[in-house]
Amino acid sequence: MRLVKCWFCSSTIYPGHGIQFVRNDAKIFRFCRSKCHKNFKMKRNPRKVKWTKAFRAAHGKDMTKDTTFEFEKKRNRPERYDRNLTENTLKAIKKIDKIRSAREAKHIEDRLKPNKQKQFAKDKYELDQNIHLVLAPGASEKVKVVVPGEKSVQNEAMEE
Amino acid sequence: MIQPQTYLNVADNSGARKLMCIRIIGASNRRYAHIGDVIVAVIKEAIPNTPLERSEVIRAVIVRTCKELKRNNGTIIRYDDNAAVVIDQEGNPKGTRVFGAIPRELRQLNFTKIVSLAPEVL
Repeated sequence: MRLVKCWFCSSTIYPGHGIQFVRNDAKIFRFCRSKCHKNFKMKRNPRKVKWTKAFRAAHGKDMTKDTTFEFEKKRNRPERYDRNLTENTLKAIKKIDKIRSAREAKHIEDRLKPNKQKQFAKDKYELDQNIHLVLAPGASEKVKVVVPGEKSVQNEAMEE
Repeated sequence: MIQPQTYLNVADNSGARKLMCIRIIGASNRRYAHIGDVIVAVIKEAIPNTPLERSEVIRAVIVRTCKELKRNNGTIIRYDDNAAVVIDQEGNPKGTRVFGAIPRELRQLNFTKIVSLAPEVL
């Protein structure tokens, strides 16, 4: 039995799950559960619904291009049974899955890292706006200014 | 779920456009008809200058329903509309073409002619 992807959320539909809707032009829409079917009936666009794979791919939330996705492909030619091949395939599945999950985690980690360029621009802007708060070097030191004429004036007043 | 008074589209070129179910063939007091069931229907709307006319009573087999169809392998199929194909007493279609998707179940029910005429069998 073939495992197909849900039209709405792109998750795998296992045998006995979900529902198929056949439009009058014979296009088949497969849904993994009633949640996806109901959202389709509400005419929602999967690219605009946050929890779908389509949204996450469209907004750069998930890894979309990777060599590990190449293995999961629709193949219409049935493979002739070969014990060794099957054994190797089963081993490979686990390995590939491990690599993919690691890469996915890395992708999310990278995504959550602060953007250096953006941060720099933000800091620069803040500095430009509040430059008056920054003291010039040496501004805090008090320099005694001696005014030559002042002393004589004071003395004159005292004398009077 | 087709019951008397249900309006159906016609999925062939027999000349009828709209049918209204008036009886379900099978048992006495049968309540609902599903895909593959034969109904007695009255033509509510017909294309002019065709052998079939308005208010004529005919037999038809249901080929599509909005109500889900459950298969033995667990899949559930739902169609866009309620549609039927006009047939004669022997079960042969009156039209020469069938439109839209047709479920595979009709083959087991000896409507092979309809299935072979269909552009898409699901």
